[in-house]
Amino acid sequence: MSEYTPFEMIAYTGSRILEDEKIVFVGTGLPIIAAMHAQLTHAPNLYMIYEAGSLAPILDMGMPLSVGDTRAARKACYLKGLCGAFELTQRGCADYAFIGGAQVDIYGNICSTIEGQNYDKPGIRFPGSGGAGAMAANCEKTIAIMALEKRRFVKKLDFVTSIGFGDGSPDYRDKAGVLGSGPYRIITNQALFGFDEETRRMMLLEVKPGRTPADIQDLVDFELIIPPDVKDMVEPTDEDLRLLRDVIDAEGYFLKRVIKK
Amino acid sequence: MNSASSKIKNISSLEYKEKKLEYWGPTPDESRKLMVNKSHALKDKTMTLKDAVAKHIRNGINLGIGGFVNTRVPVSIIHEIIRHGATDLTLSFQSNSICPELLAGAMILDPDRVSIRRVELAWWGYEIIGIAPMLRHLATNGIIEMDDYTNYGMSVRFKAASMGIPFIPVRDHGGSDMELVNRGKMIECPFTGKNVYLLPACHPDVGIVHTTAADMYGNARIFGAYCTCPEIAMAANTTIMTTEKIIDTESIRSYPNLTEIPFPVVDTVTEVPYGAYPGASYGGYWFDMDHLKMFRSICEDFRKTGSKDALKKYYDEYIFGCENHDDFIDKIGYKTIKKLRDLDGGQPIILT
Repeated sequence: MSEYTPFEMIAYTGSRILEDEKIVFVGTGLPIIAAMHAQLTHAPNLYMIYEAGSLAPILDMGMPLSVGDTRAARKACYLKGLCGAFELTQRGCADYAFIGGAQVDIYGNICSTIEGQNYDKPGIRFPGSGGAGAMAANCEKTIAIMALEKRRFVKKLDFVTSIGFGDGSPDYRDKAGVLGSGPYRIITNQALFGFDEETRRMMLLEVKPGRTPADIQDLVDFELIIPPDVKDMVEPTDEDLRLLRDVIDAEGYFLKRVIKK
Repeated sequence: MNSASSKIKNISSLEYKEKKLEYWGPTPDESRKLMVNKSHALKDKTMTLKDAVAKHIRNGINLGIGGFVNTRVPVSIIHEIIRHGATDLTLSFQSNSICPELLAGAMILDPDRVSIRRVELAWWGYEIIGIAPMLRHLATNGIIEMDDYTNYGMSVRFKAASMGIPFIPVRDHGGSDMELVNRGKMIECPFTGKNVYLLPACHPDVGIVHTTAADMYGNARIFGAYCTCPEIAMAANTTIMTTEKIIDTESIRSYPNLTEIPFPVVDTVTEVPYGAYPGASYGGYWFDMDHLKMFRSICEDFRKTGSKDALKKYYDEYIFGCENHDDFIDKIGYKTIKKLRDLDGGQPIILT
């Protein structure tokens, strides 16, 4: 088994989660790579929606560098604009939202708007919701990628950009007027999380081989549900790494990024 | 109208100024009246971009910006607006990179020439290239007022305006902090009895869009993703359009299904090849990552050091040192343009 990087582990885990004959609404970067990897392996009939307007493109010009990249429109089945793409989700055609964010809380709510308490003069201003808020609301299941750090897995978000299970009450999403069933998986390079059906709280599902549930809890600022049957994350094979490195992101735009400390 | 709310207040401790439920541009009634009173003749609307901008861009307007992030962004129009000058602007767009950054940079260099008062948006950044330094500077210093929606929210607000309706129900924003800070409103649906979020229509005073092809009347084709360009053009009181290529009306009439923007909503048409550069235009050219990185790093240096020297040099060279977009593309040079054409790979478009 070859050595793999954190980004490669995230992309591979993302791929594992995506099922065949489903539609995934992808965000820029690792979600695109994960979906391309799934298409090349276990899910040849997985289709992507890109929010600029394309459904089920064939990416034979190479990996789109952004969800607005003209390459994402290549050989699509259906090509409209943002309204067309998001209305597919409101109508119920998108099985997965695949997004990222700056912070997540115990109920899978995600922040990508500001850091700080004051909206009108925030400590840090992030780009904003983009498509994420709409995807988390109306795709059927939300998958999110996050770096596993205490400052990102927080007790309280500064700003809820993408709705999860809100305050955890059973009717939170219904009262919010959104349609999708909500958070499904949170992917990090060291652990995979799901959500407890009863309490809607984040639950540890898998850990990177060599890590313990306690190691993961140390990196999370709220109390995780840790079931007795936590599994080891499956590691990418040499063939998976070849696909990721040489076929999907051959230029290393996303997988070869250096992590800023 | 029954008022309702989600449970967002149970989890939010955000401090924010509550916004009045009002339009940040023309009201639906004003916009309707203006459209009714416009000439609806099939007439030649071609003119220079300088004339188009001088005729329609005023201080205090809501400027609706087309494209999406780095795709078919109306850069040539933005350059001309900066040369012309426009203050106290409200910007409306879903997701954009260099267009609002260019306007913000112009504001930092000379707020008497260009200034932004507030922005209704979903996203402002460069995606893979990085965050938008000017946004971060303006927002964290409380210099501009922000109003946040999702990409669907902003797109469908233009769509509501394009449909001539004052608001539109959506199934997002609710239960997020956007519900608190933006000008949408949660109500109880009169038919289902369940909560549904309403967004106000967005009518820009002036919409700016770059299209793949158009005839001299403004009937326009878009290849690749439409982004929200048809809706913005339809929603705006006035639409300034640049296009990669002006084509014969005979071609438009042969394939009327391909027309995405109809002539009555278009006020000016200018043929500007590479008009989205350094953004991309499907079937023509890919985006120029090197140029975007260069401009972004100049902005980031300003944000970190406060020095405007490099910024001023960029504007003097590429905007004020150019009469028009041809001059700008001349400075970029053939080799770069050729590379970007190759990177597009000749995506199929129909111009005949």
